[in-house]
Amino acid sequence: MLSLKLAFKNLLGAGLRTWLNVLALSFAFVLIIFYNGMIDGWNRQAQRDTAAWETGVGQFWHPAYDKYDPFTIEDSHSPISEDLLKEIENKTLAPVLVSQATAYPQGRAMSVTLRGIDPEQEVLELPSSKLPQANGTDYAIIGKSMAHSANLEVGDKLLLRWRDKNGTFDAREVEIADVFKCDVPSVDNGQVYIALSNLQEMLAMENEATLLVAGETFEMRELEGWDFKDNEFLLADLQAIIDSKKMGGSVLQGLLLIIALIAIFDTQVLSIFRRQKEIGTYIALGMTRAQVVGIFTVEGGAHSILAILLGAAYGIPLLLLLNKNGIGMGYAEDMAFDIPVAEAIFPYYSFRLILMTIMIVVVTATIVSYLPARKISKMKPTEALKGKLQ
Amino acid sequence: MYSIIKSSTMENSSIIRIEKLVKRFPVGRSEFTALNNVNLTIDRGEFLGLVGPSGSGKTTLLNIIGSLDTPSEGVVTVLDNSIASLSHKQSSKLRNRHIGFIFQTYNLLPVYTVYENVEFALLLQKLSSNARKKAVTDALEWVGLTDKIKSKPAMLSGGECQRVAIARSMVKRPEIVLADEPTANLDSKNSHHILQTMKSLNKELNTTFIFATHDEKVMQYLNRKVSLEDGQIVKDELMKNSKN
Repeated sequence: MLSLKLAFKNLLGAGLRTWLNVLALSFAFVLIIFYNGMIDGWNRQAQRDTAAWETGVGQFWHPAYDKYDPFTIEDSHSPISEDLLKEIENKTLAPVLVSQATAYPQGRAMSVTLRGIDPEQEVLELPSSKLPQANGTDYAIIGKSMAHSANLEVGDKLLLRWRDKNGTFDAREVEIADVFKCDVPSVDNGQVYIALSNLQEMLAMENEATLLVAGETFEMRELEGWDFKDNEFLLADLQAIIDSKKMGGSVLQGLLLIIALIAIFDTQVLSIFRRQKEIGTYIALGMTRAQVVGIFTVEGGAHSILAILLGAAYGIPLLLLLNKNGIGMGYAEDMAFDIPVAEAIFPYYSFRLILMTIMIVVVTATIVSYLPARKISKMKPTEALKGKLQ
Repeated sequence: MYSIIKSSTMENSSIIRIEKLVKRFPVGRSEFTALNNVNLTIDRGEFLGLVGPSGSGKTTLLNIIGSLDTPSEGVVTVLDNSIASLSHKQSSKLRNRHIGFIFQTYNLLPVYTVYENVEFALLLQKLSSNARKKAVTDALEWVGLTDKIKSKPAMLSGGECQRVAIARSMVKRPEIVLADEPTANLDSKNSHHILQTMKSLNKELNTTFIFATHDEKVMQYLNRKVSLEDGQIVKDELMKNSKN
């Protein structure tokens, strides 16, 4: 307690030198929280959007289906049983039939994935209701990114060519009924959505589906003939990408923190060099060397306390403002990242993040302060009192 | 652990005993002998000066008595504690409880006020805030600085700084005060004022004052003058006509 009191007194007495170090450290502190908050916010948003648009609360896959292996798609379809049809009717499950195809927008050829979706489903946010039931014309909905890459607009015709259940090639023209905006690349890029019944008819797969998406109201249980995949599995890629982004960001944060800590280290070295007489006086007045080392260590470490207070003073309003308004990312039309990116990311500052950042700043600043302060324990008090360089 | 720190309680008994003290310092590959076969006994309440030219060993002797340094040979006993055998913690305790220091350059802590500088030694003794306040106020009254308690050292004159240093050394009522050239940076008027203050504290509290000095003004106040030359005591005389 005495060390803390004396350390703060000395620190505040040092004036501008202290505040410059504190300012540098507070930047590091706020930036670490901001960056990690942004990544966490992005992560939460991406997971939420992916669940809402693609994965629901989990999916039941046909046992042969592997979303990473296109060769499995051909054999990944099963008839939907009667009891599951009831669930679909109750909007607790949404069946999806998946097939590969080639699209020919303006004469160009591009590989696409056809996804048959029930227009009346309510499990996913996908605007499937905008798929008109067939009245002699086949309709499709696509995402904004897909529309951009294929140069398609609502009302345009798109020629599709696919192989049906029997391996026979067939082709048909569909009309774009809607272009939806979605932040999840895997829902948008190269995906063409057609009414489930239409696709079943096109593929000659009457009443069949590749996977079933479970909604929040689905009473979770095993379904015979279907393998359940939870969101931990379905979002694993997303988590891995975000973790790698976090790792990359931590290098920048580390560098910033190191710069701030070098400033503290430098100040401590200078302080111990310049204040030898003071150190000698402390010892003459009856302080043990360990107590003097403690004062100087706490003094350096106290930079971090002041940095946290200063960082809180300007950081809290700033971070709250960013949290309220979000950070504009622009719409990633080409979805180059392969990560769901919303137009605005809303940072998320968890208690754990703030506590961990405080711990990192305090502990590293204290260690950096202790290293030069150790020299005091080797000082001769008689030489220190004279202020002689030792 | 601290129980071995002893304090003499007998009035006018010898509180410092030095026998065959030798202190050597390494100088390059050889050694320099700063004190050579010094024998000295100092009683409680003495107002004693170690006098001699620069390099005669005054400050070294003062540092050893103050347990800031240790003997190379011989025995130095302060308040029944052998300086050579004290651990760092024990010597810190001895200084904190029983020894006050006054330095030529005052050595006040620049960021603290006068009050806080004087209070500092008591903070280490974990006294209650009321007890500290009374002791600090008393000490500042002795040196006549009650009107400067909120001033920082930079705002004080040299004489005032040295009076703060005296108050700091006396606030814990130590048995021994060690003063290293306390008047060297002061003018004549301030020097006399400081010395009169110390002399009255010596009489009032029976505190032992030991000076390292070559200032003639200080010598006028001494009861006993121990002259050093080349690390040896060459003369030890009682001063019968000292001031006050």
